[in-house]
Amino acid sequence: MKTSLFIMIVLVSGAFAGFIHGTVNFAIVEPYLDQAIGIENQNLFASGEEEDTPEFWVEYEGYRVWQKSGQIVSGVILGMSVGSLFGIVFALSKNTLPGNNMIKKAVILSSIMWFTLYIIPFLKYPANPPTVGDGETVVLRAILYLSFIAISGLGATAFYKLSKKFQNKRKFIALISYAVFISVVFFAMPENPDKITAPMNLVHEFRIMSVLGVTSFWISVGLILGFFWNRFESHKETTPHYT
Amino acid sequence: MSELRQINVSKTGVSKLAIVALAIIFAAGLFVVGFDQGHIFSLVYGEQAFADLYIHELTHDMRHAAGFPCH
Repeated sequence: MKTSLFIMIVLVSGAFAGFIHGTVNFAIVEPYLDQAIGIENQNLFASGEEEDTPEFWVEYEGYRVWQKSGQIVSGVILGMSVGSLFGIVFALSKNTLPGNNMIKKAVILSSIMWFTLYIIPFLKYPANPPTVGDGETVVLRAILYLSFIAISGLGATAFYKLSKKFQNKRKFIALISYAVFISVVFFAMPENPDKITAPMNLVHEFRIMSVLGVTSFWISVGLILGFFWNRFESHKETTPHYT
Repeated sequence: MSELRQINVSKTGVSKLAIVALAIIFAAGLFVVGFDQGHIFSLVYGEQAFADLYIHELTHDMRHAAGFPCH
């Protein structure tokens, strides 16, 4: 496949999947964000940091519209970004992935990446709505979250390479080794330093919706890139061979 | 008797240029949506960008929804 075509289908599939992610979030996550920000505003009034005045609400509506409109825009940007990583990994691994067509192979890979790059880090550092989180610790939390994603992803890659050295059923040794490795990392990594002060039912429901949104991205990006790859793949050379 | 068989040869090579370009897009996009706190616009607007937080506010809802620490 030509370099330009490869880059184009990776970016377009990421953008489409990101658009779907943003749209799903807009439908199911936004109500929880509004609810959490409402609590945050009440806390600001109660603490005296802000006053419940018409001027406050005019300013609030101004930036809240900007934030909401960014849901889909940033979904597309994030989709192109994560979709680029997915495209690189897919291009390098597609011949060793199970499945008899590119769509199946891409969905299998997107499932693996969803689990190792999202679900495992999420179990340690789950998403939180506004009102949860101290601004003083945001850099530490970002470092912890990014580090765990990197460790999980690189660990999965290393144990995948290890599995190639084993035959048949012994490949499970690599899978079990990854499970042991990531469990040790899971318990060794520091906890999120911030206490949760928002109602727990709001936090739990927000997290469920967050998982559904991100899952919609990973399903979409696998299906769309696999479809494009099948559609535009023009590299099969047919060579007559006589015996 | 000769037998005609077709062998499909699949070229799997991906150019290094494509991988580098996509890796840059990955890192830049992740920073914009997940971690920027005024850094990008500060290149043009200086310290004021850290107060305005335009990109932070634009990506605010996705940042929370996708699991990134926001504030």
